[in-house]
Amino acid sequence: MRTTRVTVAAFVAAAALALTACGGEPAKSSGSVTQITGTGKAGSATVLDRPFDKPDLVLTDTTGKPWNLREQTKGRPTLIYFGYTNCPDVCPLTMSNIAVARKALPKADQDKLQVVFVTTDPERDTPESLGKWLKAQDPSFIGLTGDFATIQTAARSLGIGIEAAKKEADGSVVSMHGAQVLAFSPKTDEGYLLYGESTTVDDYTKDLPKIIKGENP
Amino acid sequence: MNARTTRTLAAALSLTAALAISGCSSEPEGKTEDATPKLTVSGAFMPEPVDDKMAGAFMVITNDSKTPDKLTGLTSPLSDDLQIHETKDQKMRQVASLDVPANGRLSLERGGSHVMFMGLKTKPKVGDKVKVELKFAKADPVTIELDVKDRTYTGQSSNAH
Repeated sequence: MRTTRVTVAAFVAAAALALTACGGEPAKSSGSVTQITGTGKAGSATVLDRPFDKPDLVLTDTTGKPWNLREQTKGRPTLIYFGYTNCPDVCPLTMSNIAVARKALPKADQDKLQVVFVTTDPERDTPESLGKWLKAQDPSFIGLTGDFATIQTAARSLGIGIEAAKKEADGSVVSMHGAQVLAFSPKTDEGYLLYGESTTVDDYTKDLPKIIKGENP
Repeated sequence: MNARTTRTLAAALSLTAALAISGCSSEPEGKTEDATPKLTVSGAFMPEPVDDKMAGAFMVITNDSKTPDKLTGLTSPLSDDLQIHETKDQKMRQVASLDVPANGRLSLERGGSHVMFMGLKTKPKVGDKVKVELKFAKADPVTIELDVKDRTYTGQSSNAH
């Protein structure tokens, strides 16, 4: 128990080091990103000591209609990820891992699971382009876009730091995705599990049946 | 438990240290030897792209010589715009080149640096091969074939178990 906290602390400290090490840009304080404390590693998942409340978030879905996170996912097992579609590596990998793992669930459980992809690049990810991209992964996935500040606030409340897409001098756009997938329990509607970037399809396949029931993996 | 935690901790720290180092190191001014670097490419793959807008590719370039080199560009029949990207802190940015250190390797791995294909002429499927020519600062160009894999494939060299 104690050692785990040390590990998490080390991660945070090390991450801070990595961020400041290059010092190219002055590390502008990115507001308050909620501190994460984990009780322990359950396989690839981190079980959170203090689970997160579901953010009060209303964004636009891929059909262009308003979508209320709390209302639409109430009492349902839910995975949330912050990413963008002009992303060749981690974003599609994460969504594909979840898509493959979801298909391994019994049909009834597949229908219960809500997978929500919130864009970190709303300027380029329109409802239409987001819908097309997600459909290629799993048509059941929900894609949300809207005002970046609103998205950033919601991400921060879940301990996920994201920055706005930035146009470089050469015209290329630097976007950023969240590092974690957060799982919300159907029993409490709280975010209780955290999955990092290196979580594999096997990890998700193993854990999803537990998440469907709101249990710890 | 204790041992495991310690190992995790050590791995986390060393991983981050590696990131920090690779992120910030200035050009290692290699020994100037005339010998052309001997480069080999292994484990080259492309996860099946989601759409025809873009694709990523990954590989390990090994340099079995005392001469450092750089990957400076790529061409492929699949796209007219291939870019080299470096990923740090969940952000990726285009770079002009990546170092292939002497007696070392350049690992383009999932979650890290990668090659990005913009505007695909076709949409490759699992099992397809994609031809790519790699250009280096010193070594002769190397032509390879990328294996198109499942989107969930992470490569053998990945530390993602």
